[in-house]
Amino acid sequence: MNCKFVPSICSYCGTGCGVLFEVIDGRINSTVPNKSYPVNQGKLCIKGWNLHEYINSFMRLKAPLIKEDGRFQKAAWNEAVNHAARNFSRIRDESGPDSIGVLVSAKVTNEENYLAQKFARATIGTNNVDHCARL
Amino acid sequence: MDIINQVEQLLEQEKVDIFLGYREIDGHLIPHGFTRENMDELRDLRVSDQRYSLEKIATHLAEKDPELKIGIIARECNQRALNLLYTWNQLKPENIETITVNCCPSKLKHHSDCSYLEPGKTGDVKKKQGVDPNTNPAGFMESYNGTQRFSRWMYEFSKCIKCYGCRNICPVCFCTECSLEHPDLVEPGNLPPEVPIFHLVRAVHMAGRCIDCGLCEEACPAEIPLRLLYREMNRIVSDVFDYRPGEGLEKSPFTMIGDKVTLEPKPMDAQGEK
Repeated sequence: MNCKFVPSICSYCGTGCGVLFEVIDGRINSTVPNKSYPVNQGKLCIKGWNLHEYINSFMRLKAPLIKEDGRFQKAAWNEAVNHAARNFSRIRDESGPDSIGVLVSAKVTNEENYLAQKFARATIGTNNVDHCARL
Repeated sequence: MDIINQVEQLLEQEKVDIFLGYREIDGHLIPHGFTRENMDELRDLRVSDQRYSLEKIATHLAEKDPELKIGIIARECNQRALNLLYTWNQLKPENIETITVNCCPSKLKHHSDCSYLEPGKTGDVKKKQGVDPNTNPAGFMESYNGTQRFSRWMYEFSKCIKCYGCRNICPVCFCTECSLEHPDLVEPGNLPPEVPIFHLVRAVHMAGRCIDCGLCEEACPAEIPLRLLYREMNRIVSDVFDYRPGEGLEKSPFTMIGDKVTLEPKPMDAQGEK
C-alpha cells in the first residue's frame, strides 16, 4: 500500500487556495488544506474540503459528448472540436458575430485568458467577452 | 541516531510497512507515506513545524488494510490522539510504531511548539463581544454570567462560514455515520443546521474525546476559539469522571458499546478536593 500527498490548487473559485490530496493506492481519498500555503494558511471553505468528491464522482465527464437526435453520445476530441467549430461558423454566418459570447475563467492562466479573448475578437469578431470574477 | 536511520531500520526489519512522516515539495512540508519499495525517498524525510493529523491518515490506511503495520512521527498531541483511537478500536496498538519527536521550542515552554503556548493578540471587538481564546476556561466561566457567556459564544458562532473544517480535520472525529451527512437529519439540497446547533452538538460529542490538539482552531477560517470550548467541556468530564482523553489507554466513561458501560462518577472524596 502506498500513500502520498499531492499539492494542488483548489479548482473552484479564483482565490486559489492550496490543497493537498491524500492519495492512497492511486485514488484520491480526502482533501486537506496546505498549512504553509500563503493564500489560505491551512484553512478552506466547504467546497475545498470536498474537492475529492467530484473527482471520484461517477457522474464526472471524462470524454466530450455530442448531442445527436436529442441524446448525448460519446465522441473523440477531434470530432467534438470540429463539430463545435462548424456550428460556431454557422451561427456567426447566420446571425452575425455578436450572437456569440465568450466567458473566460479565473481558474485558467493569463495566457489562456488572452487566447480566449483573442479568439473572440479576432476569429469570431465580437467584443462579447466576460469573466466570472466580474460577477 | 537520527530519525532517517531509525525509520530505515523499522522498514528494513519489517516492523512497519509504511511510515508516515513529512517531506518537502515545492517548499512545503507535507505528509508522506514512506515504504520499503521507495527507500531512496527516505533522504527527504523531515520533521515538520506544520502539524497534520498523521494519525487520521493512519486510520484511513487501516480502513483499507486492517493488518497494515504503520509507523508514525508523533508529537505529544499525536500520541494522545493515538491513545484515544486505540481505546475506541479505530487502530490496533500492536500495528502502530511511533517515533517520538520533540515539539519545537516556544518562548514560553521548552521542547514544545504548540503555537497556542504563545498567545496571539486579541482585537478590541473580540474583547467586547466575543471570547478571548487566551483565557482559561475556568476564568471565563467565573468572569461572566450565563447570559453574557451565551451572547459572547453566539457572537463567535455567528462568524461560522460552515466549512465544517473542524470536523474534517479532527483526528478523533471517526464516526462511520456523521449526523451531518445523514439524509434524514440534514436533508440534501437544504441549508445546513442553523448556528449554534452544529457547534453545540459537536461540543457535546467532544466530551471525553477531545485530546486538545488544537487542529480545529487552526483550521477555522472564522477564528472561533473552539479549543477553549472543548477544554471547558472536558474540564467538566475530568471533574466528574476523573477522565482525561488520550492520557492513557483507559476507556472513556462515555463508552456505550463493548463489554461494560463505564459511566461512573469518580469517588466522592476526589470531588471534594477541588
